Amino acid sequence: MRTNILSASLLAVFFALAARPASARTLHVVATIPELGDIAERVGGDHVSVDTLARGTEDIHQVVMRPSLVPKLNRADAVVYLGLTVEHSFLPGLLNVANNPNLRTDVVKECVGAGCIDCSEGLAVLEKPSSLSRSEGEIHPFGNPHYNVDPADGVLIAKNIEAGLVRIDPDHAADYEKNLKAYLAELNAKLAEWRKWVAPLKGMKAVSYHQDVVYLGRFTGIDFIGTIELKPGVAPTPTHLEQLVQLMKQEHVPLIVREQQYDPKMPEWLAENTGAKVAVIGTMSKALPDTDTFIKMSEHNLKAILAAVGKAP
Amino acid sequence: MNRTNRFGPLALALALTAAPVLAQEQQAPAQDTQTLLNDLEQRVSKLEGAPAKAALNSFNPAIGMALDTAFRDDNDKASFLFRAAELNIEAPVDPFLKAWGVITGSNSGVDVEEAALETTSLPYNLTVRGGRLFANYGRLAHFHDHELPVIDRPRSLDTYIGGETQADGLEVQWLVPAPFYLNATAGMYDKMGANNARQNNQGARPLDSFTYLGRLNTYADLTDSQNVELGVDTAWTPKRKVNDTAGANGATTGIVTQNDTWRTLTGVDMTYRYQPPSGGLYRGVIWGTEVMQNDERRFDPTTSLPSPRRPSYAGFSYVEIKSGLQLRGGVMADLTEDQDIRGKLTSTYTGFLTYDVSEFQRLRLTYAEAITNVAGAPRDHVVGLQWTGVIGHHVHGFRDR
Repeated sequence: MRTNILSASLLAVFFALAARPASARTLHVVATIPELGDIAERVGGDHVSVDTLARGTEDIHQVVMRPSLVPKLNRADAVVYLGLTVEHSFLPGLLNVANNPNLRTDVVKECVGAGCIDCSEGLAVLEKPSSLSRSEGEIHPFGNPHYNVDPADGVLIAKNIEAGLVRIDPDHAADYEKNLKAYLAELNAKLAEWRKWVAPLKGMKAVSYHQDVVYLGRFTGIDFIGTIELKPGVAPTPTHLEQLVQLMKQEHVPLIVREQQYDPKMPEWLAENTGAKVAVIGTMSKALPDTDTFIKMSEHNLKAILAAVGKAP
Repeated sequence: MNRTNRFGPLALALALTAAPVLAQEQQAPAQDTQTLLNDLEQRVSKLEGAPAKAALNSFNPAIGMALDTAFRDDNDKASFLFRAAELNIEAPVDPFLKAWGVITGSNSGVDVEEAALETTSLPYNLTVRGGRLFANYGRLAHFHDHELPVIDRPRSLDTYIGGETQADGLEVQWLVPAPFYLNATAGMYDKMGANNARQNNQGARPLDSFTYLGRLNTYADLTDSQNVELGVDTAWTPKRKVNDTAGANGATTGIVTQNDTWRTLTGVDMTYRYQPPSGGLYRGVIWGTEVMQNDERRFDPTTSLPSPRRPSYAGFSYVEIKSGLQLRGGVMADLTEDQDIRGKLTSTYTGFLTYDVSEFQRLRLTYAEAITNVAGAPRDHVVGLQWTGVIGHHVHGFRDR
């Protein structure tokens, strides 16, 4: 008798779960980088569960394809990604083996299918290459893809994620819209505050390690005039470093931006030889302590730059 | 008439004439804005209605080429080696299929290394691959030569598999729907191994003369920075014909036997990776090990006379340390038992240092010493400097990561 009751209960639970309406189902969303995961969680609210592929501490061009990420993409309803080929080292390879018909790999768009949410849609892309040649280094054919370090582009990212979630799960469109409004209200308030912080930086000259801060330059007004790398993805040569020192002295460059994933030795050497100060920023959230959200990452980066040049907010 | 009265009509006349002018001035910006909007609307419509910009060659496949050259000193005799120019072509065929080809030219001629079709949207997590492909056996066996961590393919793989796992046939992979990574492969091929002389790719054969493959591989994150990948596989050939081309008396040609000619090549592989959270691909340690057992009845290469069935073993283990963006190095030990002579072992020890000039250019220096445990056998030492470059399209494949 007890066995029968147990069996009946299990069956009832099974049928109850199976009979759940599709709209009650939680969407499995996979974000390529932590800040996209953060914004997807904010916009998706209770209707989504979010996994992230990169940990945030890596170089986004060199994220490791761990096989444990494959089942996540296999079960995913959506993948949220930066696009512009910035995830080319891991996303197409993982999608290729994930066997998810809604998320198919594509040479040009990285991802094609109903579940693909490209956050770069509608972006005013900077540094579009005039010609495509590897003699220019590891350039991205569609333009500079590092817009996630521009605090203002959080608005575009959030809107694209909301549009994607509404497309995939129209039953909860009203909730996604409400969550988006709430998130944008918070972000816009921060943006207004941050714009006041960075006002003194306008026109300041700086160099970075990699060519990934052009969008940050657009927000802050900082004029990035060079990189420690010889070309994108190509390690510096002694001649290049000597020329960079000369350029920095000539232009009175007070700031060196080192992205967390790069070796500190070279920027420190450059600082010693030019008198410039080094600011360490994260190019993904979770790259540095207490930067687990897009807002925290953006705020940290701005504070690091302001502190380096002695203009604390 | 006072002054006010005198100028009153004049002021009124001026006001009346000026009013339309002012109104015109106020309307002018509005009209300009409207004109501008109309103009913009027309231009946007044209852009939206215009066909997508595409060249006639837009549907051409993505093309890349890996160039692999080396300077090699083998027992104090040196030479330059044109190892390979490997042309890679890849494109989707339709919404359900993709295809790729790898054509390699080297000192030994031109060869189609791979020419394969792969499904992209089968249900139940299935993927079917067919044509000439690198069978999914082991860990390093299906790597192209220039993608290996050392210059020369480990002797164990070269001897037991016969070069890369090139195979003409069909392979089915199933990604097990589990919360962890578990992948199963089943394959059927004419033979496995580009230089495997036991079978060939020509002619029809009964079903029991094909080679059948089964492989399972899984993966686990041990900690945030450590993970391990395990694989187990076997390639089984139920039967093969052994032609007595030389014959015991040097004249006979015919089938010696088909009995008890089955062969299994069973392997286990393990890859441990330490990848510190802040290093990405640049820093860390890889420890890879692969062991194979070959079980077959061997035939004397000159007389084709059979010898009793017996297993033989081979394998390698290597450690590679990545110290940064550009530099990595390590050591590899390979132990290969002769498949014909029990207990005859060749040990090869290799040290390698790789300098990645950029993502697309690499220099590699290796020193390898091989010792065979036979009295009087000379030591074999090889120094190699490899220079590799990739042009055009490149991909970061999951299988060869």
